[in-house]
Amino acid sequence: MQNKLSFHQSAVSLEIIGLPDYSNNENKDQISIISQWKLTIIDKPLIEGKIEHLGPIMNAFYIYSNLLIKNEIPLYESKLIDIKADNLHIHSIVLKSSKPNVKPLNLKIGNSLLSDTINCFDQLNESTKVRIRKTDLPYSMSKKLGFGVINKVKFLNFIMPPFIAICSLILFSSSFIYFYNPVEEKEKNELINPK
Amino acid sequence: MRKSYVNNNIKQKEFDALIKITVEMSRYLYPYIREILKSKEDHEDNSVIWNDFNKRFIELIKERFNIDSIRVKKLLNQAETDEIIIKYLLTLSLCISNQGNQKLKKFLFDF
Repeated sequence: MQNKLSFHQSAVSLEIIGLPDYSNNENKDQISIISQWKLTIIDKPLIEGKIEHLGPIMNAFYIYSNLLIKNEIPLYESKLIDIKADNLHIHSIVLKSSKPNVKPLNLKIGNSLLSDTINCFDQLNESTKVRIRKTDLPYSMSKKLGFGVINKVKFLNFIMPPFIAICSLILFSSSFIYFYNPVEEKEKNELINPK
Repeated sequence: MRKSYVNNNIKQKEFDALIKITVEMSRYLYPYIREILKSKEDHEDNSVIWNDFNKRFIELIKERFNIDSIRVKKLLNQAETDEIIIKYLLTLSLCISNQGNQKLKKFLFDF
């Protein structure tokens, strides 16, 4: 008997079917060996596949959404899936089957369905009941990176004012060199104290 | 950009707290955010939800932001406003998971 786990977000649901890894002393409601997954989007054809397709498809969605947010060209192409933006609101998805003589599946989804789908993938990633090899998500920011940027800004804010102050002092005082002649000074001293 | 003349630098703790509040609010308001995004997909030029949201967004900007600033003027420019609003709404809608805080921070650093 296989386990089934579903993740829902508004008009999208993701179903994961598989078995626990009993050799690893896992609970019977856990899924570690995924045999099948199904992505249901209301009013769109059912998308299903094997575990080796799930990672690349999730990654494609994450990379594409990142491109959209970062204002880069919204286009993702791979052997399995292509995603591109038709306009600000509609995204075209082409899913290519690994089986021969099967035509690619074309889908058009809006921003609402795109965010629903990514939120379903997020739920799967965060689920403790499904153990999948976590794909390298493009947005998975390490804390060090985020704080590094802030620390850099803080460091610059801290170091810049004294640096500018010292530079201006040097420039200002170097102008006095024109008013000071050490030779004349020496002659004056000799006149005052003749030996 | 704000009308306030107080220009204090935000502290790390305050930044984290603001991120947390924003993520919690977007999680709570996700159905509404989704409807606003969807309304623009369905009826390109004749959407009541979109028009209401857009009107209120511009009202709030005029009320709380310094409209003499060039960046604020850009926000009020009709041609660019739609794109900016959609981008912000999409960003918020993608940050409702448990790790939404980290995602939102990453998106903000990428802006």
